[in-house]
Amino acid sequence: MAIDMKVPAVGESITEVTVATWNKKEGDHVKLDEVLCELESDKATFELPAEAEGILHIVAKEGDVLPIGAVICSIEVGGVQVAVNVADAAPVAAVPLASVAAVSSVPAQVIEVKVPAVGESITEVTVSVWNKKSGDVVKLDEVICELESDKATFELPAEAAGVLEIVAEPGAVVAIGGILAKITVGASVVPVAVVVSDAVAAPVTSAVSADASYASGHPSPAAAKILDEKGVSAADVAGTGVGGRITKEDALAAAKPASASAVAVTPAVSAASASVASGSVASGSASVAPERTRREKMSSLRKTVARRLVAVKNETAMLTTFNEVDMKPVMDLRGKYKDKFKEKHGVGLGFMSFFTKAVCVALKEFPSVNAKIDGEEIVYHDYCDISIAVSAPKGLVVPVIRSAEFLSLAGIESEVVRLAGKARENKLSLEEMSGGTFTITNGGVFGSMLSTPIINAPQVAILGMHNIVERAVVVDGQVVVRPIMYLALSYDHRIIDGRESVSFLVRVKQLLEDPARLLLDI
Amino acid sequence: MGLRAYSFSDAYMQEFDVVVIGSGPGGYVSAIRAAQLGFKTAIIEKYAVMGGTCLNVGCIPSKALLDSSEHYYNAVHHFQEHGIDVAKPKINLKQMIARKSGVVEKMNGGISYLMKKNKITTFHGLGSFDSSKTVKLTKEDGSSEVLAAKNIIIATGSKPTILPFIPVDKKRIITSTEALQMTEIPKHLIVIGAGVIGAELGSVYARLGSKVSFVEFAEGMIPTMDKTMGKELQKSIAKLGAEFYFSHKVTSASVKGTEVTVKAQDAAGKEVEIKGDYCLVCIGRRPYTDGLNLAAAGLVADERGRIAVDEHTLQTSVPGIYAIGDVVRGAMLAHKAEEEGVFVAEVIAGQKPHINYNLIPGVVYTWPEVASVGKTEQELKTAGIAYKEGSFPFKALGRAVASMDVDGLVKVLADATTDEILGVHMIGARAADMIAEAVVAMEYRASAEDVARMSHAHPTYTEAMKEACLAATSKRALHA
Repeated sequence: MAIDMKVPAVGESITEVTVATWNKKEGDHVKLDEVLCELESDKATFELPAEAEGILHIVAKEGDVLPIGAVICSIEVGGVQVAVNVADAAPVAAVPLASVAAVSSVPAQVIEVKVPAVGESITEVTVSVWNKKSGDVVKLDEVICELESDKATFELPAEAAGVLEIVAEPGAVVAIGGILAKITVGASVVPVAVVVSDAVAAPVTSAVSADASYASGHPSPAAAKILDEKGVSAADVAGTGVGGRITKEDALAAAKPASASAVAVTPAVSAASASVASGSVASGSASVAPERTRREKMSSLRKTVARRLVAVKNETAMLTTFNEVDMKPVMDLRGKYKDKFKEKHGVGLGFMSFFTKAVCVALKEFPSVNAKIDGEEIVYHDYCDISIAVSAPKGLVVPVIRSAEFLSLAGIESEVVRLAGKARENKLSLEEMSGGTFTITNGGVFGSMLSTPIINAPQVAILGMHNIVERAVVVDGQVVVRPIMYLALSYDHRIIDGRESVSFLVRVKQLLEDPARLLLDI
Repeated sequence: MGLRAYSFSDAYMQEFDVVVIGSGPGGYVSAIRAAQLGFKTAIIEKYAVMGGTCLNVGCIPSKALLDSSEHYYNAVHHFQEHGIDVAKPKINLKQMIARKSGVVEKMNGGISYLMKKNKITTFHGLGSFDSSKTVKLTKEDGSSEVLAAKNIIIATGSKPTILPFIPVDKKRIITSTEALQMTEIPKHLIVIGAGVIGAELGSVYARLGSKVSFVEFAEGMIPTMDKTMGKELQKSIAKLGAEFYFSHKVTSASVKGTEVTVKAQDAAGKEVEIKGDYCLVCIGRRPYTDGLNLAAAGLVADERGRIAVDEHTLQTSVPGIYAIGDVVRGAMLAHKAEEEGVFVAEVIAGQKPHINYNLIPGVVYTWPEVASVGKTEQELKTAGIAYKEGSFPFKALGRAVASMDVDGLVKVLADATTDEILGVHMIGARAADMIAEAVVAMEYRASAEDVARMSHAHPTYTEAMKEACLAATSKRALHA
């Protein structure tokens, strides 16, 4: 049976693709989900995974332009007969035929564990930890692994009881719907079935021909070492050796992520051995340090952050306005009432509540700062959902204080404590991190004097708090020492004019320098 | 404690990137590789000579004697047929042992040269842990010094296993070490254990004219190898007049004057008594960590004396301390230790080397030699893997007939479906050298037909490998 593989619909506006490169050759034995070729559209490059395991027959050559839906290649599937033959030939009389079939031809008994849809904007997840090993027996609903998306971490329960076979290793990035693992239902037959299925993996045709594709992708000893040092998986290398074997040359040419680090190793080592040859060996140990750089895969959180920050820089007209706040009044107030406040509300009185409150008042007066752009329209928010930037173990997260304008100072403080606590434990839900209308970030906790924050899109403005430093300032003609904080407001000039942004920041300053205004709403 | 604190701050304390304890094939190779990678390297050897068991009391001297005994045997039994008439050859055992010692000395010198050439500092003395980062060196004159090491490689090897109910006196009841230093040829040598070492040394004395009796607990010779090999080897050694007591459990051994008595129980539980003039005990080897003071480094050996290591790095539970060769899991083979020695040096340099343990060949240096790599037939059956078998006998090989070395065969096991070679087992002349071809083929996951389609020079022993692969492919050996 042959399966035709067609150009998938890759995006709304894309009508055709170009075949960029074939990773596999005509007649190769390909595995399910193995990348067959790369396709290019006018927007992006993407990989085409095999829809089935079998022998590849290429239809479209490299450089061919194909409309969506056109046939690229076909895969000849021959698993069922092989399975039966092997079962007959195998000297393992105890293996029931059905159990062999369970692996190869009746997939209903092998449940594929796929990445669930976890949120609207999430397209892929990173496997962070497997709680179970391949071959472990798992129970229904038992947590088998932890997944990490760019927004949150979540746990994946087993969909069925059975024997687990891990497909995606920790660190692997898997698209929604991608296969993470397989669970074989009916544990006792599995070990034998696995052995037989290894044999099944090879197509019948290779049994007697020299073109032994069972070894396709097998690296030579030198190639294996090189690939490991580059951090390249053998599965990502197209072997040019006999039967698709990966030669040393293939491994050297496999320029994947870490080619630079391999280069870094070699000169250090050869320089060191040169020094041995020339006789100056004793002092060499410091210069021998084999690797001075380390390479780690970016987490999906980091990748998303990076992509968004660049997008914001490129797609908005961002600039920053500054001001300074005399913190004495707020500090005096806090000094006077912090004990009573804590006693009554069970939460400490920090600066965050004052800033949040002041921002809410100012946002009401300057609605464009609390807006966003949607196509050709401006969306004004008649509520203040304030995002606060929190440093979490895996990077920056921005949980949201809902309807902050209606909360008391105590209400805001307890929300901050709750959200920051969850952030530190990686327990924030997606919902708690989405939908903010304006962001406050505090670089002051790390000692920043002044910096220009980047807008948290699609919001249009962000307030940056900084450290409080005693400075000499002039009050009523006298030089006095006051605790001063610089404030920065970055904003999207496309919809916020200078008058509004500057006035907004001045208003925040006024409210903080005279907190009674917060009470009186003036 | 005051003293120790002083030694830490002692400006004269020598410091190394890598200190290797033990100069056997694992240790000295590891030191060379470390030096090649630019590390400041030191090696510590307890004995006065370098090379460890392999060179001094193992592989090299036993091969020297094996070849001498083989020459003698040929002179007595085969020269005439070759058309060489010589007076009845006599054994000069003293010269034979002296030649062996000369070989060993030459190799000792070779290692010392390699250490110098690679600028490796050599220390003679007992190396023991002082802490996880320092090694105390106690010299023969009783003086000691402490070496600081960023990385320490334990390569202390193994010693023969001794059982409490067999009183080894090293005179009449001996181990392999003494068997290489004999002053007379035994009249009747009783060998306890017919594994690799027992088979090798037993066959040496059998060829020199001793009556040799093998007492073995398992059902046949070299029981860990493919069963066909044990059977074929037994046939060859039986021709030397050896006797075999398989499935016999030794219960005691005793010496009275020049007579040794070994008592054993056969499979039925009946007691058997064997009398001889020497008894060689070859029941295995144990990892050797005596005097190493593992505790000071925070290490413990397992119940079998081995040091646990991480599979991917061979690092022990203590960072910066590695272990290789006979002191860690796996076969006790010199070439396995060498691979691990290179491996660890490269790991320390931040590289990512590989060792395919399934493809470390096992060799028995009897004549005919036995060599194998990959899975045995028994292992494939147990694992439920469908396989094909192809064999080719040496007696059908032109070269073997010409040399009168017709004992033995090559047996190839290949996957029933893919034809991939899964195991190769050979017994015959030069099998130890021929197994390399099988290792190369299997590292590249060659099929039996791949090898069968490669040209093999004629007339050579290696044609047996090609023919066995043809047989495994589809029962179409050309000369069978």
